[in-house]
Amino acid sequence: MIYSWKKIVRYGIPLLTFCVCIEIAVGQLLQYGETVLIRQLPIFLISIPVINGIGGNVGSILGAHLASGLHIGSITLDVHDKEMHHLVITALFMGVLTYVLIAIIIYWTGMFNGLQMNIALLPFVFVITATGCLLICLLSLISVITAFISFRKGIDPDDVVSPVVTTFGDTLGIIFLFVFVGAVIL
Amino acid sequence: MLAKTMLKQSLPLLILCGLGGIIAGNTLGLMRDLFVSIPGLIVVIPGIIALRGNISTAFGSRIGSAYHLGIIHEEDFWNDALLQNVIGSILLSIFVSAVIGILAYFTTFFLFHLTPDPLELISIVLIAGITSGLILTALTIGIIYIVFKRGYDPDNITGPALATVGDIITMLCIFGSALLVEAFL
Repeated sequence: MIYSWKKIVRYGIPLLTFCVCIEIAVGQLLQYGETVLIRQLPIFLISIPVINGIGGNVGSILGAHLASGLHIGSITLDVHDKEMHHLVITALFMGVLTYVLIAIIIYWTGMFNGLQMNIALLPFVFVITATGCLLICLLSLISVITAFISFRKGIDPDDVVSPVVTTFGDTLGIIFLFVFVGAVIL
Repeated sequence: MLAKTMLKQSLPLLILCGLGGIIAGNTLGLMRDLFVSIPGLIVVIPGIIALRGNISTAFGSRIGSAYHLGIIHEEDFWNDALLQNVIGSILLSIFVSAVIGILAYFTTFFLFHLTPDPLELISIVLIAGITSGLILTALTIGIIYIVFKRGYDPDNITGPALATVGDIITMLCIFGSALLVEAFL
């Protein structure tokens, strides 16, 4: 029997506890921005799962492709690798397109639900897209670095890249959002 | 060309996940009054969403590997390997939910000098963690069963499917348990 619940729990607890500690820090950031997010601009509260979700997904997809490429040998451990550049550019393009589209839909659902907007469509889409752009750029970088380092150390990138990217994505996503919201309000 | 196929296969999925995120986000929007009346509640949200994602996708990918190794297949589905995985995932959910509740209580207390009711906060997280854990585990088993029957590779399906549905179910569970606990405590 290769699976036992004891093993699953024993290996799961350290990694999960570590992730949870970081996520609690993210939660405290949210609590810190509570007045803005809950009272002044609730539309950004609604956007948080979307920003983090899309960022994490783009990073994970990129990471999975990098991992497979490294395994097959179509991608080499080189900063100038062409295949890797193509993948990163495509990931950025996909991410930005999705953010713009979803930002417009969020704004419409907010208006439809009778939410107090306090911000016009264009600045809103700008904030979400700018946050998303910066987030994806950094997550792509983190994804490439994590994939390359783990591959070189003989660890399967498939096991590492996705948790690292999603945890970083949650933290950076909220921080960037606060930065851009602050810039637009002021 | 790898980049082209990536665009073709992943973009629709990304947009779909984004739409799922909007539902999760609107649930978060509905909870605004609860965030005001229960200090510390907003702190547990990222943790509990991440917890669900990590436990369920790991469960899904282990079952995927078990399928490739020939340990689980359509004729021998309800066996001990599956049972061990289910028990492991549910125990992890209970343990980590408790950790989230306790950490949220102490950090809120020390950082903001707010005093959330520890019993209230921890029971909200525990109820939400366990119910969403049970629902998502059942859902994963259902998805994998259908995937086996159709002869697809579970590795291609379970990850994205769970990522999209997982956030929505977790948000609804935490909304429900916060309402429940607020009403009865």
